[in-house]
Amino acid sequence: MSDVIETAGLWKVYEDVEALQGLDLRVPQGSIFGFLGRNGAGKTTTIKVLLGMARPTRGEARVFGQSPFDAQSGVDIRRRVAFVSDEKDLYDYMTVGEIIAFTRSFYPRWRNDLEQQYLRKFELAPGRVIRGLSRGTRTKVALLLALCRGAELLMLDEPTSGLDPAMAEDVLQSLVAHVGREASTVFFSSHQLSEVEQIADHVAIIESGQTVVSGPLDELRAQYQRIELVFEGDAPDIRVHAPGKHRVRRKGRVLTVLTGPPKGGPSQVNAAGSSHATAVVEELRGYRPTSIDVTPVTLKDIFLESVKTEE
Amino acid sequence: MLWHKAWLETRWRFIIALLILTMMAGSSVYGFIATQRLLPVLNANSGSATVEATGLGEAIREAIELQKTFRGFVWYQAIRQNLTQMGVFFAILLGCGGLLSESTKGSALFTLALPVTRKRLFGARAGTGLAQWFAIAMVAPLSIVLLAPSIGERFSIVDALAHGLCVFVGGAVFFSLASFLSTLFGDVWRPLLIAIGIACAIALASFAAPQLAIFSVMNGESYFRYGTLPWTGLLVSAVLAMALLYSAAETLERRDF
Repeated sequence: MSDVIETAGLWKVYEDVEALQGLDLRVPQGSIFGFLGRNGAGKTTTIKVLLGMARPTRGEARVFGQSPFDAQSGVDIRRRVAFVSDEKDLYDYMTVGEIIAFTRSFYPRWRNDLEQQYLRKFELAPGRVIRGLSRGTRTKVALLLALCRGAELLMLDEPTSGLDPAMAEDVLQSLVAHVGREASTVFFSSHQLSEVEQIADHVAIIESGQTVVSGPLDELRAQYQRIELVFEGDAPDIRVHAPGKHRVRRKGRVLTVLTGPPKGGPSQVNAAGSSHATAVVEELRGYRPTSIDVTPVTLKDIFLESVKTEE
Repeated sequence: MLWHKAWLETRWRFIIALLILTMMAGSSVYGFIATQRLLPVLNANSGSATVEATGLGEAIREAIELQKTFRGFVWYQAIRQNLTQMGVFFAILLGCGGLLSESTKGSALFTLALPVTRKRLFGARAGTGLAQWFAIAMVAPLSIVLLAPSIGERFSIVDALAHGLCVFVGGAVFFSLASFLSTLFGDVWRPLLIAIGIACAIALASFAAPQLAIFSVMNGESYFRYGTLPWTGLLVSAVLAMALLYSAAETLERRDF
């Protein structure tokens, strides 16, 4: 599977703010790639660099193997990419029909069948002026404009931000259905971990402009595990020495240990998986707990741990 | 479609500018009748001691002299004053805005994600604005040609086109200046006010250094007085306008959004 997006050592400095600090990223073709990070972690800057809207201070960025900063290859990239920005700001003075006609004129592979389908599905009236639309409806218009381009890569910056849960679910389902039908790649940034977990098959977590975790979501989950130990009395105040221990919490009789790849190790997920948990469990058996449970973790646990690790 | 977008963004400025400048040019035709009635009174007072003492006598006498004929009146009132002075303001207004000001409204990212180069985006916007300015510069003097017979006068279509060309080329410099400033400042107000400030400074400087008199090019004074277009001034203005537009396109190309 080739990569549609590749960055290596990507830096972007805005005056005195280092928005990206050596970002390494690989997005496989055909994946639904969740791009996670806290506010200000560098998600939007990364997308802007990939689309040629901002030039990197140094490092490499390629989309479909081409540089977004060359005028002609930048145009070629943008012809193959559909982008929906965080704000979903469109041209206020146009009607829905006008902005569809405007956008259609730039994309030879525009899908008229999908246009009609999404107009019905999203209940969009072509005669309505964009200025008068709610944020949710604007998002639907922006999504229609992105999905009908016949794009090979959908690049979505916080696609559900500002939407109510029902509308967010509607948007996510439309995306999943579209990708299933059209076999395109989706690269979307979000800090809504539940929705990333719901639709993504690959994720990258960035913090302070660097990739801290990246890889297939299933493998990532297998890398991290939660070990819960219950003791007869209060849980002992212990130090875990085995590699792969990330966090230890005591509460009454319960001691919880989060395990994962050793800190400072490679950010790319590997198949070492549960060996970290096994080593920690072996060490903790010596404290004679009454029970030991090893359970999978959520993306939220991984995210919080990854972000915290870097602090 | 980029041209259509640029048209939708600027159409109200264009329509307002076209209406105001055409109405001003057209109404000056009817002002000629009233001025003719006033001329004997003005003639009687222009040589007063007070006026002579202030050194304005010659200028006033010339103004009165010029306005005795319809052609002179049209040039003095409609072209030299209304079209040139108000024209500068509207040329600047048409040049303001563009991709950077879109970024303050939030739609710039949508535009930048389209498969077109920034130069093409800028070109469509500048081309639309210049086409609008050309239409204004031509329609306003041509309205005089159309209305003059209604008061029994005549204004040559060749004169109207010649003055329209001068107004267009001179005004294009201010249009381009505003376009360039709009690639430096995201709002509309700063490019507008700075460009107007520069226009005022040029007007003041041209009293001391007549070679800076872009307004003389714009009002086609040499054509009115001697029947020859100010070719050098037109050429310098056109080159200056192109240089400003080129600088604007280059600035936009290098800019981060």
